[in-house]
Amino acid sequence: MIEIKNLEKRFGEVEVLKGITETIHDNEVVCVIGPSGSGKSTFLRCLNRLEEPTEGEIYLDGKLIEEKTINETRTHMGMVFQQFNLFPHKSVLENIMLAPMKVKNIGREEAEKTARELLVKVGLSDKADYYPSELSGGQQQRVAIARALAMQPGVMLFDEPTSALDPEMVGEVLEVMKELAENGMTMVIVTHEMGFAREAADRVFFMDQGYVMEQGTPDQIFNNPQNERTKSFLSKVL
Amino acid sequence: MADYIEGIRVAAYGLGTTLTVTAGALIIGLVIGLLIALGKMSKFKILRWPASVYVEIVRGTPLFVQILILAYGLPYLIKDITNGAVTFNWSPIVIAGVIACGLNSGAYLAEIIRSGIQAVNKGQTEAARSLGMSHIQNMRYIILPQAFKVILPAMANEFVTLIKETSILSYIGIVEITREGILWASRAFKFFPAYIGVAVVYLCLTIPLSRVVAYLEKRMSNSNAIPKHKKRKAGI
Repeated sequence: MIEIKNLEKRFGEVEVLKGITETIHDNEVVCVIGPSGSGKSTFLRCLNRLEEPTEGEIYLDGKLIEEKTINETRTHMGMVFQQFNLFPHKSVLENIMLAPMKVKNIGREEAEKTARELLVKVGLSDKADYYPSELSGGQQQRVAIARALAMQPGVMLFDEPTSALDPEMVGEVLEVMKELAENGMTMVIVTHEMGFAREAADRVFFMDQGYVMEQGTPDQIFNNPQNERTKSFLSKVL
Repeated sequence: MADYIEGIRVAAYGLGTTLTVTAGALIIGLVIGLLIALGKMSKFKILRWPASVYVEIVRGTPLFVQILILAYGLPYLIKDITNGAVTFNWSPIVIAGVIACGLNSGAYLAEIIRSGIQAVNKGQTEAARSLGMSHIQNMRYIILPQAFKVILPAMANEFVTLIKETSILSYIGIVEITREGILWASRAFKFFPAYIGVAVVYLCLTIPLSRVVAYLEKRMSNSNAIPKHKKRKAGI
């Protein structure tokens, strides 16, 4: 469970997040939607402190997320990036095995076994010895998901995971994410894929101007939005 | 003609010393350079400030003067501040030479290393840190291996520069290529062939190395990825 209390973020003069208080429950899939510049990505990056919050607190399973224990905390929160950010000097298998071996001190054999299982799960078991530059965007993003899962996190954060992909590769990545959701992973997903949000989310946050303007089930948000901004945003993207 | 061949032959006696001194200086330079580069990029002012001062001082003074201070000045300083209780001498003096060149080279390599680290995409650090890696693990496993590839040509270039700069060590009596030439010149009164011989021996080192640098630069610009032979090796 992630509890966010009065989260604010300023970059110098610019207020990006203006006080967010929300709770994300275990096994819940939350999709965060909203126009660009609304603070969606910053909100997500504050959860694992890739951005340091200016004000407010975030708790993971009741424990305050703070700088001095952040490395440990991050092992429980996997993250997937828009630009994949695979390690280009390491093979697919090495990408997945590195953090479990170095951070969790798991032995090479066990790490490799887990990595190969994860590659099967994301449908890339034949690509273990390839380098990232030899893979398509969709394949790279699936490796990135496997890499994050290798740490066996309780929560997965997705920062626009399909925005950098060619349209024909979006499906394969969403498919993997949908399967994760069905298996009960707690997920926070910043996305522009409204179809995916409607189908896979338990709850949808609509963010604008640094606030969560409206939230609810996909049905409430997409079929019966209350907030004027939500309505106008959805009318443009749907 | 025979004089010139003799000049080259004599100068070539110094090859071993020149290469050893250069390699030693490069190793010291790399260690110093890495520390200074990390210091300059630190979020702590107390580390950034000395690193910047070091680079300023080393780059702002001649290598020759630095060698004089270290090789001849330092023993007197130690004698003075201990009131003669401690006698310190460089023996052999070549150690002072290697250290001086290394300290000097470190300041230049620091800038090269820093630019290499900063050339690595910020997303790499974010990915590594999001997996729970510490700052040091991120540097060691993710950033430095990638930075190293970027700066390899510049580092090879620094090696070439260093080979030439070590000729100044002949002044403090280290018998490397240049010193061999000087000694033979005054022994045999063959000044012109002696110094031409010295120059030719340096060229024999620097020309092939410059080719290597050019090759590395070309390979760098062709692909920022993995050299072909490393691709898809069996297993890990």
